[in-house]
Amino acid sequence: MLVLASAGVVGACGGESGPPTLTWYTNPDDGGQARIAEECTQEADGAYEIEVSVLPRDASAQREQLARRLAARDASIDLMSLDPPFIPELAEPGFLAPVPQDVADRVSEGVVDGALVGATWRDELVTLPFWANTQLLWFRTSVAEGAGLDMSAPVTWDQLIEAATTQDAYLGVQGTKAESLTVWVNALVESAGGHVIEDPEAEADDVALGLESEAGQEAARIIGEIGSEGLGGPGLPTADENASLTLFQGDRGSFMVNWPFVWRAMNAAVEDGALDQAVLDDIGWALYPQVLEGSESRPPYGGINIGVGAFSPDVDLAYQAAECIVDPAKQAEYFVSDGNPPAASAAYDDPEVQEAFPMADVIRQSLEQAAPRPQTPYYNEVSTGLQETWHPPSAVDPDASPGRATDLIIAVLRGESLL
Amino acid sequence: MSTLTGRQKAGWAVITVLVLVYALFPVAAIAATSFKRPSELNQGTFLPQSPTTANYEQILVGGAQELFLSALRNSIGISLIATAVAVVLATLAAYAIARLDFPGKRLVLTTALGVSIFPVISIVTPLFNLWRSIGLYDTWLGLIIPYLSLTLPISIWTLAAFFRQIPWELEQAAQVDGATSWQAFRKAIVPLAAPGVFTTALIAFFIAWNDFVYGISLTSTEAARPVPAALAFFTGASQFEEPTGSISAAAVVVTVPVVVLVLLFQRQIVSGLTQGAVKG
Amino acid sequence: MTAASTPAGVGAPGSGKPSGQPGRTAQEERAHRARGGPRQDAERSDRARAEARLGWYLAGPAFVVMLAVTAYPILQAVYESLFRFRLTAPDEREFVGLENYATVLSDRVWWADLGVTAFITLVTVLVELVLGFALALVMHRAVTQLRGLLRTAILVPYGIITVVSAFAWFYAFDINSGFVNSWFSWVPGIDEDLNWFAGQGTSLVVIIASEIWKTTPFISLLLLAGLAQVPTELEEAAEVDGATWWQRLRRVVIPNMKAAIMVAVLFRALDAFRIFDNVFIMTNGANGTEVLSLLAYRTSIGRLEIGLGSAISVLLFVCVIAICFVAIKLFKVDLAGARGEK
Repeated sequence: MLVLASAGVVGACGGESGPPTLTWYTNPDDGGQARIAEECTQEADGAYEIEVSVLPRDASAQREQLARRLAARDASIDLMSLDPPFIPELAEPGFLAPVPQDVADRVSEGVVDGALVGATWRDELVTLPFWANTQLLWFRTSVAEGAGLDMSAPVTWDQLIEAATTQDAYLGVQGTKAESLTVWVNALVESAGGHVIEDPEAEADDVALGLESEAGQEAARIIGEIGSEGLGGPGLPTADENASLTLFQGDRGSFMVNWPFVWRAMNAAVEDGALDQAVLDDIGWALYPQVLEGSESRPPYGGINIGVGAFSPDVDLAYQAAECIVDPAKQAEYFVSDGNPPAASAAYDDPEVQEAFPMADVIRQSLEQAAPRPQTPYYNEVSTGLQETWHPPSAVDPDASPGRATDLIIAVLRGESLL
Repeated sequence: MSTLTGRQKAGWAVITVLVLVYALFPVAAIAATSFKRPSELNQGTFLPQSPTTANYEQILVGGAQELFLSALRNSIGISLIATAVAVVLATLAAYAIARLDFPGKRLVLTTALGVSIFPVISIVTPLFNLWRSIGLYDTWLGLIIPYLSLTLPISIWTLAAFFRQIPWELEQAAQVDGATSWQAFRKAIVPLAAPGVFTTALIAFFIAWNDFVYGISLTSTEAARPVPAALAFFTGASQFEEPTGSISAAAVVVTVPVVVLVLLFQRQIVSGLTQGAVKG
Repeated sequence: MTAASTPAGVGAPGSGKPSGQPGRTAQEERAHRARGGPRQDAERSDRARAEARLGWYLAGPAFVVMLAVTAYPILQAVYESLFRFRLTAPDEREFVGLENYATVLSDRVWWADLGVTAFITLVTVLVELVLGFALALVMHRAVTQLRGLLRTAILVPYGIITVVSAFAWFYAFDINSGFVNSWFSWVPGIDEDLNWFAGQGTSLVVIIASEIWKTTPFISLLLLAGLAQVPTELEEAAEVDGATWWQRLRRVVIPNMKAAIMVAVLFRALDAFRIFDNVFIMTNGANGTEVLSLLAYRTSIGRLEIGLGSAISVLLFVCVIAICFVAIKLFKVDLAGARGEK
């Protein structure tokens, strides 16, 4: 195979003195991945060195950089921190080195369900689950009480909408035209029992979307209602995770769906004097809200998996390093230091984790329920197509938006339309 | 110039203030933001309440140091080289255009004009594709070459305009003294042309320094990523948190040299950009 | 995008001249030489040949480099635009002829983006022309003590990185971190809850404002050059004749700097048409603010659809050529007119 041949050639040239250097492309974080790289370099005891190279902040920009380099058959990519939805696009053309069976067996043990699904393509494990993200429902206890909601039982989006309306408060959701909007749409569609894509493994020309369904309409109804009633605040059309958090901490904050990073961020804000301790004490958490009352919600799933570049001259070493990185003890440590939840179930039992994240068990349960975004090589087109037709939230209409998205995405996948 | 009346003086004072506010206010705004604490970012005020240098520490000695300093190094290095190459090539070309009569002179000038209006984005795709197949992707050279398309045309035009004003007789005098055309160029013209060349270099440097499209499209690591592209890579405490403070601080750091250069050389820059027309 | 804005400066020194024709020097030179006295024809042609050779030796490298960095890639783009080719599916490359062009030109997105781009171009150029003229007048008339200060201030936006300017404007208007809403809440339509980047109109206002701020200094420098061409005697004569300030401006100053104005407008228009940085930073094309450069970028660099992206690139190039062609036609007429007056 050409791929292997070219990798071999490059490998032959890489004969420097000292241990081989593995380059790990990481998403930006608070320095945790760089620290793990150092630890693993030490543990390797001269077998390899890991060097970290940082990718852009935005998930789709990260994908852009990696896909470009891999398409260029770049031999310098040994390890990559990959956002799960973008994995099939890289796995399909063979840009990811196959996971050795023994490694696959070891790393899939005791991993939360959502993370395993996100690491798999065409029934094969193609990346190693590292950390797994999921959104919780965060709430201000005072507002929930004021609205008479029992937060110990699952709540629905309609209840939240009503509570926000009666309490004259804002809901923290991500309505900006970016990946986070797709996260929201997908979670709503999945929670309503549908799927954005019915057959994710299909070829571009045959992809069938599941938006024109009751589930798609429900999702559109919820987003449209929050948008047009102004329940997401004036910042909704540009609100990303950070903006939702700001809104939630503000005077009119009530409920918010967001990743667990917010817990660390709010604690830091209190230490910094930017946030009253009283606000922090008022905060509670629960599982992602339901769309249909009584049917379990499917929270968003995110996180990072570790992939090994197919063109790396040191695939074996890279897999050794990857196994070191995803070690459950390191995942626990990373959770505490950077606020990103582990993919390994056992890591949640770590006493330090339990202390730093009192909601650790809820996160673990949320990950068991979570639904990944569509696993398709055309994810970028699907996601951008959704954002194009479901933005701004106030313009989302249950009767029109699902159809518009379907038409656009199908036309784009057939090469008949621009995005 | 006749002395100004009191009313005129007041008028000029108002005008000066207006111009200063216009030109400097956005710079002041981002500078103010760069001194804010995270907690002050969302308060909707212009000035920070308790200014902090934490953002500068973050990019210069802290967590974002590697990202920012390597980008700064890349930007300076790549822009300087692209400027130097462009100015050398342009000096030769502009001399020929201003002093010599040769067929195709207009073709050179028209080409320069054509290149300068070229939509950069149009050649990014093919360059990206070519670079990745010949290994120039994410290298200094891979940016220097396209930067020449930005710096070379303006250098040729600016220098040609400068050279046209250099007293023609000096070169002839040198030639009469037995110098060849090349010697005449070196001995008689270069000293006179040096200020023009310097000005041209300044203008060309600003352009290379400003590039964003090539910077984000043709690089992917700290090996070659220039500052404007790196601004999109800063991160807060987690990847979901806005790095407003770091970006503002980095923006100020890269703006300071511009302001200094402008302060020192405003006369030259203005004359470089207007010269041909003024004296034409 | 101001990487572009400055090459526009290029046009100024040469074409801003009253003659506007680079060839003029050659004519002068020939005239000069003819006056130089009788010479042998053979010697002359030898000399001319040597000069031509030297000319190409000197100008050749720059010429070749310029062609290599633009002509070659654009030809490559033309070639690649004939294929359906996606980088992440390298094996499915397929020749499709002009299909990519048909796809682009029949798509609403292309025309919408073209409209936005044209709108931004039109508004920025018009506003900048007026504002730039005012700044040029200020620089031109200022007393010596103020001149340095004013010029320095005006050059700051010119030298600043476009991305930095985009962030500065973005943060100022952003609903969370901005101060504009609280400062200008007395203006009807602006209040604390105004999200500038949520709608097309308001987003475009900020994008255009930042573009104007950043590039007006450039246009004002070109106009300053034009102002310096206006013969002072004419203006003084008009003043003696009792013409008001406004009359002098309209009847004497502006007609005399028509050439400079045309050059400035043409280059700024071509430059504004390539706008990218501000939009990328502020909205990334949301709310109907996508411009053609961003569409080309997203298609080829973001989606890695090289074929489709190349087609957009080529079409964008054709647009620029078209603007240039139309403008130069107009411009030439004006130039001739300007020359006729002298």
